[in-house]
Amino acid sequence: MLLTPEEWGIVRLSLKVTIVAVALATPVAFGLAYLLARARFPGKVLVDALVHLPLVLPPVVTGWLLLIGFGVKGPIGGLLHDWFGLTLIFRWTGAALAAAIMALPLMVRAMRLSIEAVDRRLEGAARTLGASRRRVFFTITVPLALPGVLAGAVLGFARSIGEFGATITFVSNIPEETETLPIAIYAALQVPGSEGIVTRLAIISVVLSLGALVSSEILSRRAGAGRGQHVL
Amino acid sequence: MRPIVRLALSLIIAVSAQSAALAKAPLVFAAASLQESLNAVADAWAAKHHDRPTISFAASSSLAKQIDAGAPADIFISADEPWMDDVQKNGLVAPGTRVSFLANTLVLVAPAGGTDKMVIKPGFPLAKALGDGKLAMADPDSVPAGKYGKAALTALGVWPQVQGQVVRGDSVRAALAFVERGEAPYGIVYATDAFASKKVRIVGVFPSSSHAPITYPIARLSAASSPDAEGFRLFVISKEGRAIFRKFGFLAHFPNAI
Repeated sequence: MLLTPEEWGIVRLSLKVTIVAVALATPVAFGLAYLLARARFPGKVLVDALVHLPLVLPPVVTGWLLLIGFGVKGPIGGLLHDWFGLTLIFRWTGAALAAAIMALPLMVRAMRLSIEAVDRRLEGAARTLGASRRRVFFTITVPLALPGVLAGAVLGFARSIGEFGATITFVSNIPEETETLPIAIYAALQVPGSEGIVTRLAIISVVLSLGALVSSEILSRRAGAGRGQHVL
Repeated sequence: MRPIVRLALSLIIAVSAQSAALAKAPLVFAAASLQESLNAVADAWAAKHHDRPTISFAASSSLAKQIDAGAPADIFISADEPWMDDVQKNGLVAPGTRVSFLANTLVLVAPAGGTDKMVIKPGFPLAKALGDGKLAMADPDSVPAGKYGKAALTALGVWPQVQGQVVRGDSVRAALAFVERGEAPYGIVYATDAFASKKVRIVGVFPSSSHAPITYPIARLSAASSPDAEGFRLFVISKEGRAIFRKFGFLAHFPNAI
């Protein structure tokens, strides 16, 4: 399939935004998943609900909250701007932040399942053989949970690449900066005679999303081998 | 009959009666820039004991696409002529019902609070005023407000310098909102949008010679099913209707006889 240089630019930008979003969200998601799977603390229900909020909140609300929080005039965005010269609004980095937040709940869900599925007796055995907590974590827990963590990251990738509502509300549509695949498709839909571009970009979206979903499902099968658990 | 069955039946009857009543009121697809003014016109119409029309506001481009795809609208009001042409070309406009009845002007706005003014003329220093800030406007490739804005900036020779800093809103109101929040230091919107918002001020007015005339065509669609559609269309373009639009900063426009 032949794409114009402009269309390749859109695909490249989408991949950049998505990869940065997933790289940003993966450690956070893993930390939250570990906390929710293992720890007991007051307010756990609330943390659980907050983590899942972007999954059920209208994306435009998430985008609006980002706009008032992370805009240059917002409390957090203002500090980032004044202290570090970091601007998120109208930048691809802002698109990555929006995508990361929207992907986080799905990633946490997948990772939490895989951490819960780790056989704690193996960790106990390692401890009785003299391994430190740290060593148990890195040599038993993480490797056993890894396929699930990867499945979560891939699922996050699939979610991020399709992110539209929060993104357009927060960073608008700027060609070569925030015009990701879904936003480019939406903008092209408004122009008469643009069916060609729309079709080509839509096919790429379907291929990328399908590929991510299938690999996530394969990884999570491997993670839950014999336990019959699926992320989706 | 058991009470629960009776309750269910009466609910069904109530709901279907409700939807029959809704089906009678016209469904109007209108440009986003008409939000306050057309709602006021609809209120005035409802005050005359008609069913208040249901109005869907969005960018004219989105609306035209939806009408082309068979949306069951009765009336379409576009913020530019090409999108009405598009709908008409597809044979969806009821013959003889298209009228350009309103005009608007294009302005440069900034968040309220500042005091700077600009005379908008060829080569005016917009790029310098922007610095590394963004210029909010509706999508210059499709949405009327953006197309007029791009045409004006091009005619004034400023477009090449600011092109890279344009934030494309999916409607003129999206662009307005970015200026209202102070996230974009300047924006290009209609004069009526600037009047509608207390959070922006007009920095300069684009000369009407810099872009095609901004006129709003209205038409009844050939698929209109509401018996009230033609009545509401006539009310919108009547003297009384136009007087309401004028209160919101629109200019009356009489290019063709009614």
